[in-house]
Amino acid sequence: MRVLIVGGGQVGSYLAALLLEQRHTVTIIETHEAATAALRRTVPGVTVIQGNGTDPDVLEMAGIRNVDLVAAVTGTDATNLVITSLARFAFNVPKAVARVNNPHNSWMFIPEMGVDLALNQADVLARLITQAML
Amino acid sequence: MRVIILGCGRIGSGLAGRLSYTGHTVTVIEPVAAALAHLPESFRGRTLVGDVLDRRLLLEAGIDHQDALAAVTPSDDINIVAARLARLVFRVPRVVARVYNPRAAEIYRRLGVQTVCTTTWGISRIAELLSYSELEPVASLGSDVDILDVAVPPLLVGRPVSVITVPGEIQVAAISRGGRTFLPQPATRLEAGDLLHLVVLTAATDHLVALLRQ
Repeated sequence: MRVLIVGGGQVGSYLAALLLEQRHTVTIIETHEAATAALRRTVPGVTVIQGNGTDPDVLEMAGIRNVDLVAAVTGTDATNLVITSLARFAFNVPKAVARVNNPHNSWMFIPEMGVDLALNQADVLARLITQAML
Repeated sequence: MRVIILGCGRIGSGLAGRLSYTGHTVTVIEPVAAALAHLPESFRGRTLVGDVLDRRLLLEAGIDHQDALAAVTPSDDINIVAARLARLVFRVPRVVARVYNPRAAEIYRRLGVQTVCTTTWGISRIAELLSYSELEPVASLGSDVDILDVAVPPLLVGRPVSVITVPGEIQVAAISRGGRTFLPQPATRLEAGDLLHLVVLTAATDHLVALLRQ
């Protein structure tokens, strides 16, 4: 599968490495120059594009029209939702997943916003912990 | 009309002041309490302090029974997300988002969110002000009628509007003078510095040029 990841922080770089291991083709968009350099070093085999992932021109440059999946995993919820909306509705990407940073924002991660799957770390953790307490 | 305004910066506070002044029921949501000081003294609406994407706060503002929402925070992303949610989740009939990126503004317009791109608007307005003497149409109404902006030529200063009116061909729709725009009477005298907004039959453009050069 061809995957476009937006956000090259800890989550994005970990996900990229995992997908590359499973022989997927991965492109990452990352805003910060220092982070893009680090990605090229630590995740060999990944294509890194420096730019703003909510800019339609940057998304096109990263090949969004030809990917099977977009993963919006930046540290800002509104940004992730803009990316999934653009991916699904403006660029017709078949599937989009998004990271939920603030669990209070999970209500916004719905199919109408282009989100097929929302990954809510805090919620998963909280549930696991409450289960462990039973 | 019941309106929610997200963001109380220059645009948000100005818009809130204006809508409140003209009798609309306005609720402003702004994350930074100090920013509410931008609101004019005449503002009669409600203000709520908090995250503009906080569901509870939006419901407290009555987003599920509003006539309109304007998302005018400094963040394009927040404005777009708020506008789409207002339309898709809360069924707000009229939603407008302020966006800086012109390409994104165009895409969101296609996706059903009305966007105002202050960048594009500023560029075209400045270009217009720099070049209005060249008889470039500002807008076309169908294929036969143009709206033109023309600086009043020196020789017409002091003459009445009727001298550049040709029934069925050329009409002075409005005049911008000293920062305000008004609809003139046939007898209104033209003043130096006036910007004339003309409605012209495309076929009569040559006639207009002749009138402006008289």
